[in-house]
Amino acid sequence: MSFYQSSHHSLSRRRLLRLTGLSGASLLLNGCGTTSFSDKIGQLVEPLNQRVEELLLRPQAPVPEFPLSAIEPDKLLINTFDFTPQIDPATFQLTIDGEVQNPLQLKLTEIQKMPLVSMVIRHVCVEGWSAIVQWGGVRLQDLIVLAKPKAAVRYVYFLSADGYYESWDLPSAMHPQTLMVHQKNSQPLSVENGAPLRVASPIKLGYKQSKWVTRIFLTSQLLPQKGYWEDQGYEWFGGL
Amino acid sequence: MTSNPVNSSQLPIFRQAVFVKMIHWINLISLGIMIGSGLQIYNANPVFGGRAGWHFPDFLTLGGWLAGGRDWHFAAMWLFSVNLLIYGIYIGLTRRWQRRFVTASDLQVLKVGQNPKRKTYAWHRFVYTAIIPVLLLAIATGLAMYKPAHLHWLSGLFGSWQTLRTLHFITVPIVVLFAVIHTLLALKIGHWRMIRSIFF
Repeated sequence: MSFYQSSHHSLSRRRLLRLTGLSGASLLLNGCGTTSFSDKIGQLVEPLNQRVEELLLRPQAPVPEFPLSAIEPDKLLINTFDFTPQIDPATFQLTIDGEVQNPLQLKLTEIQKMPLVSMVIRHVCVEGWSAIVQWGGVRLQDLIVLAKPKAAVRYVYFLSADGYYESWDLPSAMHPQTLMVHQKNSQPLSVENGAPLRVASPIKLGYKQSKWVTRIFLTSQLLPQKGYWEDQGYEWFGGL
Repeated sequence: MTSNPVNSSQLPIFRQAVFVKMIHWINLISLGIMIGSGLQIYNANPVFGGRAGWHFPDFLTLGGWLAGGRDWHFAAMWLFSVNLLIYGIYIGLTRRWQRRFVTASDLQVLKVGQNPKRKTYAWHRFVYTAIIPVLLLAIATGLAMYKPAHLHWLSGLFGSWQTLRTLHFITVPIVVLFAVIHTLLALKIGHWRMIRSIFF
């Protein structure tokens, strides 16, 4: 199941007429309901919204968590953009490289040996639903520190086994509740939820929280490809 | 309001400050965009019934798809809320709230009043005063869902996520219903002259 995406690219004449003719605001702003015009509106206002999001983000202040009793096991829906990759945990390796002094590869057992960080947070999907989930894993900041990033690093890319890609701002990646998790609701992470290793964080929308992560890439430059959904038109920062 | 409403030439001339007309226009347009794009966002995962729930028809939605709806929603939110803030400062500075909003005397008229024209006027003031807390609720619930982590104190006020979504959504039918009643009451009080006075 992918994100809701209604004929994004095929804008028939009939649909165009419907979009422009009758929708609430289009009565006044003829032609503004189209996807390409909406993109322009987003590009115009997103810098302002992103600035506000950056101001709201206190990079080292944890977001209040929920009690274990608040967990909503049935609310976390499964979203993938394409297919569910099967990864052998025995041979899995996480690569951390890019503009770093100590590029490294970690086996799953090595990550699991690190002290377990657990959090109960609200996972919020761009579609509008949310779920309170317990995640267990390691702090991303601890993994990044191991790789000794160069001073110029500003962005973190997550590359996944299914071809999904994402990029984050460094302060959000270094947030103490941004984790690489291998556990969900006190159970080992299921394949559908991103096993063996995925991103989990209370401060970003669900599509920023990549599943099946195999490579973390640190860079000083945001590449033209910012993320699978961002490249389709979703906002890049996606802060909560 | 002593003239005979049937003969509109005897009606008083309604005048609105240019500033108020502008605020009314911007409020109307930004609310239209907020509702159209909001219904687009609603359709991505309906508040009632989730993905299997009833969806709004395309012609009521703005933006073409979810990302486009969000583009509009998070652009028009500035227009809508800053406009409302400016209005709030304006009615505070000019003390307009003392003269233009519903008063204790209006409420008394609604309870025991015998003059139908005075009663309609009291209803008109009551209705357009009552929409203001609804608009503020729309902003508060919207912010609580837009930034639930950083504004956790706000999100926490509304209980569950479903309550939050329901409260945010319910402002849409209330605003639509308000627009109809508000227009009908204005027509009843001052015919098209009164409608024209707020627009042109």
